Amino acid sequence: MDEIINNSEALCEFLKKMIIDTLKLEGITVKGIDSTAPLFRKGLGLDSIDALELVVAIEKIFNIIIEDEEVGKRAFASINALATFIQNKYKKGSSPCDG
Amino acid sequence: MRWVETEETVRFNEVDEWGMAWYGHYMAWFEAGRISLLRLFDLLPRQIVDLGYIAPVVSLKCDFKNPATSGDRIIIRTTVVKPEIAALIFKFEILLKENRILLAGGETTQVLLTTNRKMIYRISGELGRRINNLVDYCL
Repeated sequence: MDEIINNSEALCEFLKKMIIDTLKLEGITVKGIDSTAPLFRKGLGLDSIDALELVVAIEKIFNIIIEDEEVGKRAFASINALATFIQNKYKKGSSPCDG
Repeated sequence: MRWVETEETVRFNEVDEWGMAWYGHYMAWFEAGRISLLRLFDLLPRQIVDLGYIAPVVSLKCDFKNPATSGDRIIIRTTVVKPEIAALIFKFEILLKENRILLAGGETTQVLLTTNRKMIYRISGELGRRINNLVDYCL
């Protein structure tokens, strides 16, 4: 897991796959997700239940807790934002992936 | 899985032009069932507010199997599903009392927000304790 966390590009790919698998998104591929687009509403169009499922997946995989919507808004702003959030929580000093 | 049962009567003003209970009333019956269950665990809507939360329904499903008619005695069965996420998921069955034929089955999902409208992703504290009691009872 450390290898993925430290490699921003790999982490973004991993997160996209995690989202597709966790939410059973049909017709959406890893390549089809824009790393800079919002995950909720306008971007990927996820809803509040999706957020709760992603929170559980992130806790199971990374052992990182997202307490509430206030933190979630920052973490789920985009794939890039989520990658940065996880890198900061998991291990300090990494940078997010590119677009 | 343990269910709580509540009785209601289908009123004359609750049936449609075809003599069948209007579909929207099933939601009110679900609510009656949910309140009966929540009352046992001090989780009535105002009690949830007293703890600093609200629990809006974000998803509702209902399958209609057989029609209820005016004057029918019905039984609303309600239980809660052990949640994998920070949400309350209720299941409902509405039966005709005289023969326990299934009239409708349904499910609702409620998320939890603080009273200042901030959604919570983890249930903790007194609210968590009461919800755990509710879930354990229904297992």
